[in-house]
Amino acid sequence: MKKGMMNTVRSRGAATATRRALLLAAPVLAGLAGASGFLPTSAQAADTPLVIARAMDINSLDPARTWCDTCQIYVSNVYEGLIGLGPDNKTLVPRLATKWESNADQTQFTFHLDPTAVFSDGSPVEAKDVKWSWERLHNIKGGPSFMMDGVKSIEAPDAHTVVVTMDAPNSEFLGILTAPYTGAINSDVAIANGANANADADKSDTSEAWFMANSAGSGPYVLADYKADDELRFKANPNYKGTKVGISEVVIKNTKDAVAQAQLLESGGADIAMQIDPDTAKTIKSDSVAIETVPSYNFVYVAVSPGAKGNTVKLTKEVRQAIGYALDYNGTVEFTVAGQGKLQSAPIPNGFPGTDGLPTPTQDIAKAKELLEKAGLGNGFEINAEFPNMNVYGVDLSLLMQKVQQDLAKVNIKVGLTPLEFSVWRTHVRGDGIPLTAVFYAPDYFGSAQYIQYFAMTEGTPWWKRAGGANDASITNAKEGDLLKQALAAPEAEKDKFFHDIAMEMINDRVIIPLVSPNVVLAHAKSVKGVRYSACCNLPLDEITRE
Amino acid sequence: MYRYIIRRLIAMPLLLLGIVSIAFLITHFTKGDPLISIIGERQMDNPIVIAAAKARWGLDRSLPEQYLIYVGNLLTGDLGTSLRTKQGVGLDLLQRLPATLELVVAAMLVGSLIGVTLGVAAAHYRDRAADHFARLFALIGSSLPVFWSGLILLFIFWYTLGVLPGPGRLDTRSMAPPYVTGFYTIDSLVAGDLRIFAESISHLILPACVLGWAVMGIISRLVRASMLDVLNQDYILAARAKGASEPRVLVNHALRNALIPTLTIVGFSFAYLITGAVLSEAIFSWPGMGSYAVDAARNLDYPAIMGVTIVGGAAFLLTNLVTDIAYAFVDPRIRFG
Amino acid sequence: MAESASIHATFSRPRWLTAPVAAGALIVLFWAGVALTVQWWPIDDPVAFVGKRLAAPSETHWLGTDALSRDVLSRTLHGAQHSLPIALVVILSAVAIGATLGAIGGFLGGLADSAVMRLVDITLSFPPILLAMAVTASLGPGLWHAAIAMIIVWWPIYARLMRAQVLAVREREHVEAAVAAGASAPRTLFAHILPLCWSPILINATMDFGQVVLLIASLSFIGLGASPPTPEWGQMISEGAQKFYQWWIAFGPGMAILSVVLGFNFLGDGVRDILDPRTQ
Repeated sequence: MKKGMMNTVRSRGAATATRRALLLAAPVLAGLAGASGFLPTSAQAADTPLVIARAMDINSLDPARTWCDTCQIYVSNVYEGLIGLGPDNKTLVPRLATKWESNADQTQFTFHLDPTAVFSDGSPVEAKDVKWSWERLHNIKGGPSFMMDGVKSIEAPDAHTVVVTMDAPNSEFLGILTAPYTGAINSDVAIANGANANADADKSDTSEAWFMANSAGSGPYVLADYKADDELRFKANPNYKGTKVGISEVVIKNTKDAVAQAQLLESGGADIAMQIDPDTAKTIKSDSVAIETVPSYNFVYVAVSPGAKGNTVKLTKEVRQAIGYALDYNGTVEFTVAGQGKLQSAPIPNGFPGTDGLPTPTQDIAKAKELLEKAGLGNGFEINAEFPNMNVYGVDLSLLMQKVQQDLAKVNIKVGLTPLEFSVWRTHVRGDGIPLTAVFYAPDYFGSAQYIQYFAMTEGTPWWKRAGGANDASITNAKEGDLLKQALAAPEAEKDKFFHDIAMEMINDRVIIPLVSPNVVLAHAKSVKGVRYSACCNLPLDEITRE
Repeated sequence: MYRYIIRRLIAMPLLLLGIVSIAFLITHFTKGDPLISIIGERQMDNPIVIAAAKARWGLDRSLPEQYLIYVGNLLTGDLGTSLRTKQGVGLDLLQRLPATLELVVAAMLVGSLIGVTLGVAAAHYRDRAADHFARLFALIGSSLPVFWSGLILLFIFWYTLGVLPGPGRLDTRSMAPPYVTGFYTIDSLVAGDLRIFAESISHLILPACVLGWAVMGIISRLVRASMLDVLNQDYILAARAKGASEPRVLVNHALRNALIPTLTIVGFSFAYLITGAVLSEAIFSWPGMGSYAVDAARNLDYPAIMGVTIVGGAAFLLTNLVTDIAYAFVDPRIRFG
Repeated sequence: MAESASIHATFSRPRWLTAPVAAGALIVLFWAGVALTVQWWPIDDPVAFVGKRLAAPSETHWLGTDALSRDVLSRTLHGAQHSLPIALVVILSAVAIGATLGAIGGFLGGLADSAVMRLVDITLSFPPILLAMAVTASLGPGLWHAAIAMIIVWWPIYARLMRAQVLAVREREHVEAAVAAGASAPRTLFAHILPLCWSPILINATMDFGQVVLLIASLSFIGLGASPPTPEWGQMISEGAQKFYQWWIAFGPGMAILSVVLGFNFLGDGVRDILDPRTQ
């Protein structure tokens, strides 16, 4: 009864009221949405900031504590080093040091500093600053401290000369100095803000917080503002004595995924996008975007650890070589980076000393099966693979491992996959070890010794430890250590031969199996010139101009 | 009633301590290692470097000792330093909390306004096409994975149609207004910068709509149910009989009474919105607490995890209190023993 | 006509069987069927490479292929075998634990009630996603660890619901009468109070099912959940987000989640209409 009466009394008033409200709201919303579009946006003048879209992985802005790809961009452009790496990514070029000499047996290096060089506050760059910065780099015991390993002493006989003496021959030292972490810090300013270079600097230095908000280098740029996880802003150093830079303000904007970076590039919100993968690159249609793909020195590899606790069978050299033959290298490059990558034979990047003439990795299922039969594993076995759940240099490690799983299934090896957070993975690989894992590596400077010191099966190297070298003598390959010593003592012209031999040994070890060296996609607005990939520093900013 | 409220308020600090302790236990018993983000992969096997890092961050002390140091600092207002950003956790939160709050408030506004409208329309046109459409629309919103709908709407409205701006709180080339509250909308007005004001609003629209759509379902459903309840009451009939127009009946008489139980929804919606913020902040490049929490958990950044837990915990406890009080008002038969 | 009235009795549609409820039931039945039987369906293996990678939808692959050349439709359907059973376990466990504690607290009052409510408050004070993340990070990756995390997150809601119901029903006249007539405490609780408390729990559980599926997908989206190559919906969407222009990779699982959640929502409406005669 009540219902019936309600029906007759009902009117259309409510409907019209709602409609009116909506009609009013729509243009207001649209107006606000379009407002920022209609209002004048910053014109693309030469003095507007250069916006770089990348995933910021900054762990510190203190040159002695920092370690990440974005950090390389910051440190190399703000804290100038003594030696730079030329555009061919091989030649050493002068920066703070105008010339240098090394003695005959590569144990002593002398550097002559540019007398006109100044820091961002106008004070001159002196040898004492270089000595202080390098001692601090070693004593802070941070991520990049290993670069000063083997240094016996650093002397500053006069204001513009630095002499470094090594414990043992180290022909790589000059190459190491192209790494951004060896840049010169304005010691007076840093000391005034809590920094020191003493032996206990790791405990007594309190300057990290200051470095997060200020910079004290002699490079073409200085820190303007840093908002963690948001943006890193730098502006041109007015006191820089070198060639004037083309862009006066640079902003690195945190953009976590490739698609967002590509969209920003196309819409004009970013000038350079650094981590676009080849699949996404194909989808960029705008005429104002230039895309180049260049080979890089980064690579992704799988590592087989015979000494890992979780192994079900003994991973002898034959078994490891069988695994190496079973992998479909070309297919992996196709799957992970749509063919935009190169094969790599040894854990030394293509183009680095010693890599000429190395055999290309090939898949040979028959050979793999034969080797497994000989080892009594014709029916295959199970192996557990844990790996970091990451996407690096365009390669999704998850996808990579699924391909590996498919490939190894063809020779009856059953791979169980467990993706882990990077921090958890690190504990596993260091503790119990992981039978099969995948990881990446990027060069710290141009030189092959770093790879041997990291990947070779000589006592004490990180991968020797992880592969179980401490408990299993069959893993150790002493030849690699001997050859390295000879390489470090050899004159420039003869180094390559030694590195080549070491590379062949590492290939045979089959503990580290590189799968793909992904190409770097350089994506930027056409109006931006001078963008290039650098082996040491990721992205040199001082060559960039905008028309 | 008041005694109850006061008791709850006094209990809050103790509860917060309990929450922080549980978070401490959970995170410290994991198998992960936060040092890698501090040191970097290259040197993570070097015992000298590891020992130095552990000593610096206090990770070489025993667990009870670490706990006592943390709580001691907490009582003086020191939330510690983030292992990942190297800045004070308090400072990190101060920078990020306003971003998430701005988003959550905007989403709540969108969700409530449209949700209430849909609920009223659904109740009014009960069982007719408009009712079904309104309910379906709201329901789809709370059934869609926020991270998927965010991507789709970004693609449609930003990339394809170009009518709304892309990810980020502001255009990549704009600078944020000087910090007053951390709400870009308010701060830009305070600074008198209308262009940034309009820009911050336009950047809020898409994420607020995506998140608001998610809570529209709950709100409109509850409003509809309450409205139907209320519309059956005698006083509505009386108002109509007296000749009140339909809009007046709906809004002044029905809606006002229907909204009371809707207050209880504030608590639930808040939970939804925080979850939604965590999932969608990455997609919209929104540097708020959600993405900070994910990064903290991923990197086992203990101080940051605990800081987020405290802030989130305090907010939740307050909203829970409000919800419980609202329940009591709705059903006076509930006593609080 | 009249003589066949007894044979052709008219079907009188129950009040609660509306179109949405029927649709919901059909969707739920469909997905339940998929979850139970998809391993025998004549479709592509969800983990095998079956064709060109990143191929658009075509006649041979209705939802195209993903970055590893796997059929998306097949992976979407197989995903049901992972998401749905986990969600069922989570809901049942959360209800069991929560309802028990809530009933105890609401009925006994005093210290027990305070204890339960403090436990509820502490658990509810964690932003659920953060609690789930912390627990999963602590236990390690995996769908079952994520399930444990979700049970821990979900039980307080049911505790609170049950407690509120018990508190309300406890004051009703028939309960007072039973107590006056000498019923013991357990008898009062089980025979007189609890039977009236279940409907909101049941309604909520049905509707929550979809939300649990959503939360599973969310956890997998941020990387805690199933390991590859398991075809779990949230993980598939996260892969799809990286290959954004190949919209079909995320479309299949996205629509799957949407339909499951909607289906359980509609079904929940129907359940509510059956159980709760107040809503007209």
